[in-house]
Amino acid sequence: MTAAQKAIAGRAGSLPGTPPALDMQGVGKAFDGKPALEDAAFTLEWGEVHAIVGENGAGKSTLMNVATGVYAADSGHQAINGAAIAPRNPTEATAGGLGMVHQHFRLVESFTVAENVLLGLGKKSRVRSVSEAAALVMAKSAEIGLPVDPHRVIADLSIADRQRAEIVKVLLLGARILVLDEPTAVLTDEEARALLDFVRRLARQGNAVVLITHKFREVAAFCDRITIMRHGKTVLSGAQVEGISEEEVARLIVGETLATGGRPASRHGAVRLSIKALSLPARAHGQGLHALDLDLREAEVLGIAGVGGNGQEELVACLGGLQRPASGQIILGGRDILTATPQERRHAGLRVIPSDRFATGMIRELSIADNMALTSVSEGAFGGPLYLRRDRMRKRAETMIDAFDIRGATPERSAALLSGGNAQKVLLSRELDPGMKVLVAHSPSRGLDMKATHFVRTAIRQAVENGAACLLISEDLQEVLSLSHRVAVMNRGTIVGCRAADDVTPEWIGALLAGHA
Amino acid sequence: MLDAAFLVRRQQPGLLLSALSYTGGLAFGLAVSAMLLVQAGVPASALVDEFLVAAFLTSDGLSQTVTAALPLILVGLASAVATRVRFWNIGVEGQLWLGAVAATWVALHEIGPESMRLPLAFVLAALAGSGWIAISLVLKQRWGVNEVISSLLLGSVAFLLVQHLLFGIWRDPANSFPVTAAFPPASRFSALGWGQLHAGLFVAALIALAVWFLLERTRAGFYADAVGLNRQAALATGLPVRRTLAGLVLLSGALSGLAGMVIVSGTEHRLNQAVGNGYLFSAIVIAYLARAKPFWVVVVALALGAVFTAGNVLKVFYGVSEGMIVLVQGTVLISILMAQFFSTYSLNRPS
Ligand SMILES: Nc1ncnc2c1ncn2[C@@H]1O[C@H](COP(=O)(O)OP(=O)(O)O)[C@@H](O)[C@H]1O
Ligand SMILES: [Mg+2]
Repeated sequence: MTAAQKAIAGRAGSLPGTPPALDMQGVGKAFDGKPALEDAAFTLEWGEVHAIVGENGAGKSTLMNVATGVYAADSGHQAINGAAIAPRNPTEATAGGLGMVHQHFRLVESFTVAENVLLGLGKKSRVRSVSEAAALVMAKSAEIGLPVDPHRVIADLSIADRQRAEIVKVLLLGARILVLDEPTAVLTDEEARALLDFVRRLARQGNAVVLITHKFREVAAFCDRITIMRHGKTVLSGAQVEGISEEEVARLIVGETLATGGRPASRHGAVRLSIKALSLPARAHGQGLHALDLDLREAEVLGIAGVGGNGQEELVACLGGLQRPASGQIILGGRDILTATPQERRHAGLRVIPSDRFATGMIRELSIADNMALTSVSEGAFGGPLYLRRDRMRKRAETMIDAFDIRGATPERSAALLSGGNAQKVLLSRELDPGMKVLVAHSPSRGLDMKATHFVRTAIRQAVENGAACLLISEDLQEVLSLSHRVAVMNRGTIVGCRAADDVTPEWIGALLAGHA
Repeated sequence: MLDAAFLVRRQQPGLLLSALSYTGGLAFGLAVSAMLLVQAGVPASALVDEFLVAAFLTSDGLSQTVTAALPLILVGLASAVATRVRFWNIGVEGQLWLGAVAATWVALHEIGPESMRLPLAFVLAALAGSGWIAISLVLKQRWGVNEVISSLLLGSVAFLLVQHLLFGIWRDPANSFPVTAAFPPASRFSALGWGQLHAGLFVAALIALAVWFLLERTRAGFYADAVGLNRQAALATGLPVRRTLAGLVLLSGALSGLAGMVIVSGTEHRLNQAVGNGYLFSAIVIAYLARAKPFWVVVVALALGAVFTAGNVLKVFYGVSEGMIVLVQGTVLISILMAQFFSTYSLNRPS
């Protein structure tokens, strides 16, 4: 038994006088000389759910990575349940009672849940067989009320299932303090609610939970205390959630207040994009499209709401020209572009902001200047075919970086080093060019902090006010409602309903979504 | 101890750090090699002589090194060009054989006027090389056949074709070995009066410069990087993905073919069964160490040329076996590869 385990074994609930579950003071950490944490402080009590919020790059993940021994801090103290312990690696941290579920899960894809647990338990454990591990998983799963099937292979599980498997694994390895890094970013609203309910129960049973999130409503509904980080510092440390307003939180996060803009002014223009009976056969890992129809007018935002995995990816791929539909029509500017190449679609004024920026939108390994130039090099914007004017590319990138206020960017830096919000700005700076007529935006603010989200929405709003048509596909209902003039609901590969945004009611959407088994 | 340390990827390794770790890797590899050679009976005092002096500092050695490097530069570029677009050209030797066959055909059959023999051989060798890789390219683009397998197997086919010619119509009746007759002077690169070095030097240098310009300065090079790093994104942003891929792959084949021509017209002056051997391995190693950058391909090819030269000297004067030479070469290469690893990752031990 480690010192921490002994310390925890003697724990007596969150009675007055008990040491905090986790206490960090004066923590500093720099990467390549650039500070990511400066004098950060964090105190977690037993029995509570404690939210950490802050912009992308504020240092939330880094703080918890230090706590769990992924990184060694440059300075500071740390105590787990009153015992001064700085874990040297995540295994030590978990054995000491502190376990973290990362944004990117640490599960072996080709193993079952039970095999992953067995692997995590390691040599020192008395558990020797997969069946013993499976029994442990089942017992734990029943005890905490989190359904997990120990015999399923990770690769076959949904994101929510994987997350539950990871939580059960971390708890089985001995964690009493659970750190969840943006767990709800990848979940549907319903899945998120189930997870947060569980998290609260877990805390009330005498454990402690750290929840990193961007969503204030999750903080308000499920957390006891809140810590706010900005630029590596804790600007608010462990305040009670009751009695703090959303405006206050937003102000502390960004350091200034944001106006919440409404929907762009609409002029009811002509039809710009018309999709008729679009069909795509279903594949092994995905939904097809079934006779999907929709019309998009100029100076209009048409929002498509729906649970992810109902054909949204496929619709975007068919519009962008990355997948060839089996039948139907896509009419853009009076011409059927069903079989057009991505480049021809671009010439016709179509722009796509994909949900996964680095899969089809940008190239991680290339520089920011290169990424900004990807679409315009072939048009001769940077010299003829025989000589590429890199100097002009750099100039243009500098202008864009200024105009879009892209932090931490220089033209030569690799795009991989950008945080999510700034990467999205690079993409927007490229796609929202004067030639844009129809914008297809898929979850454009997914995973972004408040300030970046605000920026993205303002940019879309402006483009539409200037006459562009925007198809906004998002699983975030608030996003859809805040921008759209009309709202359509997507379910099982087709549009199941569409009405003006003013007539949208929660009941109407609920009924259409419920068609989803 | 080691389980408490872990590797952290450096964001952008500094120039000094890279230089230091490469030098360190090279020094380590040479030290281990020296121990191996002393074990094999080479007097320790002769080592410095043979490795450094013979390969670089004597006029003879240097000319041998540069001559050996010429085809290495071309195959290294061939591999680098294909690697840029993530097409694994494992058929470098096959394309090289075809290029050599094309050059030999022009020479033996005395095609065209004498002054045009070398230019004609040049063009045909390039075409033959790209024609040979075109088979793998079409198989891949049409039916998704893996180019690693197809180009490798086509390499064997090319070698069988060469054997067929050497044991058949092209065999020199005056020679007991299966080789062709010597090329007429019009089909030989003129000697530069310095060891074996020949005018192929200018060909290789100009090609290296052109490939560098293409990859680093033109639009096609920009496309190539995008296509190689993320094909889906290149497609989605409207880049000519198929054209770029096809262009660079055909260029890769052409460069290998030209390597074949430079060997037969420059040093061998005939086709035999050995001219293409070992170039596949060298091409991959050079492109890998040079990270597919043309400038570094030239540097690494020269270094490898020196290693070959030193190897020959050791073989001839000290009776060191061929196996030992390969072992030494492998040791040096592995050390440099390890150095490359440590210049991208740092070893962190939590305090
Ligand atoms: N492994 C790393 N190497 C270099 N910089 C890093 C690393 N991890 C995080 N950073 C930097 O530290 C800062 C804080 O990042 P992070 O903790 O991930 O923010 P958050 O989780 O709040 O979005 C960012 O500027 C980020 O670029
Ligand atoms: Mg984070």
